[in-house]
Amino acid sequence: MKLELGYINVKGVKFATENKFENGIVYVDELALKELLLKDSSLEDCNFDVAYPGESVRITPVKDVIEPRLKVEGPGGIFPGVISKLETVGSGKTHVLRGMAIVTAGKIVGFQEGIIDMSGPGADYTPFSQLINLVVVCKPAPMVEAHDYEEAVRLAGLKAANFVAEIAKDAVPDEVMAYETKGLIDSINEYPNLPRVAYVQMLQSQGLLHDTYVYGVDAKKIVPTILYPTEIFDGAIISGNCVSACDKNTTYHHQNNPVVTDLYAQHGKTINFVGVIITNENVYLADKVRSSDWTAKLAEFLQVDGVIISQEGFGNPDTDLILNCKKIEQKGIKTVIITDEYAGQDGKSQSLADADVLANAVVTGGNANQVITLPSMDKVIGTLKYVDKIAGSHAGSLADDGTIIAEIQVITGATNELGFNKLSAR
Amino acid sequence: MKYILITNNDSLLNSSYKNINVVYKNCSYIEVLLRVRAYIHKGHTILTHPLSSSLKPNETPFKSILISGSSKGATDAFSVDIIEQAIEAYKKFPQSNKSLNQKIIDDFKLVDKTVIESAILNNL
Repeated sequence: MKLELGYINVKGVKFATENKFENGIVYVDELALKELLLKDSSLEDCNFDVAYPGESVRITPVKDVIEPRLKVEGPGGIFPGVISKLETVGSGKTHVLRGMAIVTAGKIVGFQEGIIDMSGPGADYTPFSQLINLVVVCKPAPMVEAHDYEEAVRLAGLKAANFVAEIAKDAVPDEVMAYETKGLIDSINEYPNLPRVAYVQMLQSQGLLHDTYVYGVDAKKIVPTILYPTEIFDGAIISGNCVSACDKNTTYHHQNNPVVTDLYAQHGKTINFVGVIITNENVYLADKVRSSDWTAKLAEFLQVDGVIISQEGFGNPDTDLILNCKKIEQKGIKTVIITDEYAGQDGKSQSLADADVLANAVVTGGNANQVITLPSMDKVIGTLKYVDKIAGSHAGSLADDGTIIAEIQVITGATNELGFNKLSAR
Repeated sequence: MKYILITNNDSLLNSSYKNINVVYKNCSYIEVLLRVRAYIHKGHTILTHPLSSSLKPNETPFKSILISGSSKGATDAFSVDIIEQAIEAYKKFPQSNKSLNQKIIDDFKLVDKTVIESAILNNL
């Protein structure tokens, strides 16, 4: 399966009375977008705003971040089984509006979390401070139940992304990157002397605000399976996860999964990247045993020499991570795990809620308990109402002047477990 | 009953789950973990992860954990590991001094309920 990603550089996003893309500026017909989103009866209203890198702007509470992409050649459409019709994606050509994102914001529940600061010290902890963000702030219709409203906001973000991507449909890409994964036998024949590597991606799957969807299927209900890596670039995996801002994978993270792009960068040079195994992180312990058994079985079936395993979330998934690692290692396959840490504010506590001697190669996204002071911003998109209710904050976290003292787990993407962040150790 | 649900979430009292004895007590998050540990020491097996949901132990006051309804006699080592790791994880989070209004309390209860139901409704 081969996919070409054509990157179109976005230099600005402006509201206008008609949609057009000109000189790198996306002009968005605000009323048409609003009309599209408000077709969902679960939404009473939605408002839009734009935040640029370097501005004194705080966006909170953040639900999801999505990159506008458009299928311009080949089967299917972006977010198959959710927004586009159900058809296998990952081949042909896809255009990417690089440098911008759709951010959905607004309360789902009373402890809704996630902060993106566009400048200041907090901006260094989130990759989304570097993007031009078209923010969609939704308001629920009266008496809408939490599940329905979560779904409505999730879909609003995806619809807005596809709406915006369509605006630049005739644009010529500034850069084109091609990615290809062949069938297993062809792949082995092509690079017989390179170590075969697969990527095991663990998907958050625990319930309301903790879900992920694969081709529209709730990941709680899948058994581990194999994807071509390029399917992920076309939105085969989307986020329904609103909890644990620092280490949840937004839809943008999935679309730009750095484990996949880095493995492709080494494909044919130092490794033979044969594919992605997706698995879940269910609450029921028997599900964990089954999913880790199957994940190890698929890794063995692919006859890989090594796997990279990425986690999503805190606590419960630590057990899945270690089970996957241990069982794959016991098949004689080397593993590297990517996680983040809750090591206490002083960094001295046990980092994970599970461990095993076979988990001996670990990459960390950082310590989520690290305390940070986020100075006040001139403008808030969304509301600060929930800031001292969210994980990593405390009573008094929010000062009268808008300054926030809290753990970095309040920041969207701060300790992302795909490695999509900027923290490093010295 | 085939299963016991240990919980401090009273919203679960209104539901009737097949084969599950709901054992509710108005108590703290850590007390739920300790009560589950006591059952495990008596030979019960833990069936759902005690750190279910990504809500941190000092963030949500509510916790529900499913265990086997009867004792196997011997203590299950895997269950002991899981609950001890959860208790250790709990200890590293500073205790919260947040005041929660009724709406937020209800939302925490709702998430706890839907997360435990993701195990109950899909598996039992």
